[in-house]
Amino acid sequence: MKKLLVTMLLVATTATGAHAGLKVIGKGDAMSLDPSALPPAMKANYQIVKAKCVKCHTLERTIVAIQTGVAPISGQPFDRSATKAYGVKMLRKPDSNMSKPEVKASVDLMNYLIAESER
Amino acid sequence: MLRTLHAILETIMFLKKHPVAVMFLLGFVLSPLLHPQSAEAIPAFSRQHKTECSTCHTIYPELNEFGDAFLKNSYVWPRKTPAAAGQAQEAGEKGSRNEWVKISGLPEQIPVSLTATADLAYDDEAYDGNKFDLSARSLRLHAGGAFREAAGFFATYNLYTQGQQRGAVASSPANSANTPPNNTPNLNELFLVWRHALDTPINLKVGRFEPKLSLWKKSNRVITVPSYASTTYLVGDSPFSIDAPEDGIELSALLGSRLLLAGGMVDRNGQNQKDGYGHLSFKIGGTDFKGEEPEVSLESDSVWDFLAITMGAFGYWGRNGQFDNFGIAQNLNDFRRAGAEMDILYKRLRLKGSGSFGRDSNPMFANTAVGFDSRAYAFEGEYYLGAPVNLIPLFRYEYQQGLGGGTRRYIPGVAYAPLQNTRLSLQYMHSDAPEGINRIAFASLAFSL
Repeated sequence: MKKLLVTMLLVATTATGAHAGLKVIGKGDAMSLDPSALPPAMKANYQIVKAKCVKCHTLERTIVAIQTGVAPISGQPFDRSATKAYGVKMLRKPDSNMSKPEVKASVDLMNYLIAESER
Repeated sequence: MLRTLHAILETIMFLKKHPVAVMFLLGFVLSPLLHPQSAEAIPAFSRQHKTECSTCHTIYPELNEFGDAFLKNSYVWPRKTPAAAGQAQEAGEKGSRNEWVKISGLPEQIPVSLTATADLAYDDEAYDGNKFDLSARSLRLHAGGAFREAAGFFATYNLYTQGQQRGAVASSPANSANTPPNNTPNLNELFLVWRHALDTPINLKVGRFEPKLSLWKKSNRVITVPSYASTTYLVGDSPFSIDAPEDGIELSALLGSRLLLAGGMVDRNGQNQKDGYGHLSFKIGGTDFKGEEPEVSLESDSVWDFLAITMGAFGYWGRNGQFDNFGIAQNLNDFRRAGAEMDILYKRLRLKGSGSFGRDSNPMFANTAVGFDSRAYAFEGEYYLGAPVNLIPLFRYEYQQGLGGGTRRYIPGVAYAPLQNTRLSLQYMHSDAPEGINRIAFASLAFSL
């Protein structure tokens, strides 16, 4: 019983306010997704997001947008049409260093995560 | 003790003899301190919207496409609808507004920031023998933001300036963007914009501001000293330049999302006649003036995926004169300016072109008027390096036809942002003017907080 209580306490202290369908590790700047919960195709996409997006901002920004359905800075709805627009924005940003296949992979991942978080 | 003193003196003598070595030595010594780290830009807009400088800037103060849309939207986040803002609050957005903020319309934080600059010039043929000059510095106060989404405001106040930047003296028609000629505390800009007045697309701006003529504000440059000859040139004794802040009223409106129209009236002291001006700009490709991204296919390629072309044209007509003892303008000068500009962005390459010409009926404010036709143009090529952009090599060519003849200026330069709120620039200015050739190496350090 004691062990169970300790385990529950540990889980409670490490848990974030993540949406039920989205498995998140860490908090704040260290927030990231749990790749073990992703299908193989999305795992590869996640590696791209992890490598490219964090050059300019934390993953927290993306995860919060998916969890809440609202982009944290602009206050705009963060839905499927928004993910495409953000993808285009990052593609065109001279400093993003992202190719079209990389942007497409990132948009596909965000759309998958939105669908998962809506479950 | 004496040995130490002797060594110090020897070092000073060496540095005095080799000023170029000093510049490189300083850069080398300081560079480890400025090693790139995670960006933490904190000026007013950044704090207000909790976003990094690179959202709106390439290397500050130059604006990127989104920054330009933010400016055109009078410092309100583009496309931020009240419904979306409410949804964000409901979703527990960080920094959501308190009720008192919402009711009063006040910004959540005091929207103030500071910019400090320190300049270093090397002129081998300095008229006063002071080849290596470290005397120019300035501290500027900025305030900007929005009262809810109803109005935007902006102010710039020169808290302190000292010294005159060498690039702006004699050989150059340009006045420094950072060091005003009067070197005294000075309100540079202070204006309020009533956004979408009476639910129309028209924005009404009142106060002291740079009239909307050029595509770029005077501060919207990678290298701010000198400013573009085409927008900053003076003729004779007339203090008018296209980019000088004026007291006035301006109306502007976006037609669709890619056509901007602006026009206004300027009040000049010592006379009853007002100046008038108009501006038109149009953008093809790229982020539109409302901050909306273009439709791009992720399956196929097109040149318009990355190409953005902005074109602008403007006209200004006014009158000024020399004040007599009662502050009444005498020996009046009627002047006109017209210009056209283009801004091309393709991936990391940005090209800017600006040309203007004018007519002054009496630019010397003389008893016997002698007219003068002026013209000037500037071309600049920039290449963005880094992710986010932190290094921009550039080259600028300028020409100005002044009263004494034509001046050509060649300016290769490089700007580096070790942090997004810190900028180091190094440039070489080769001026071929009627009075002779002038060569100046110029370094500048600026930071905002």
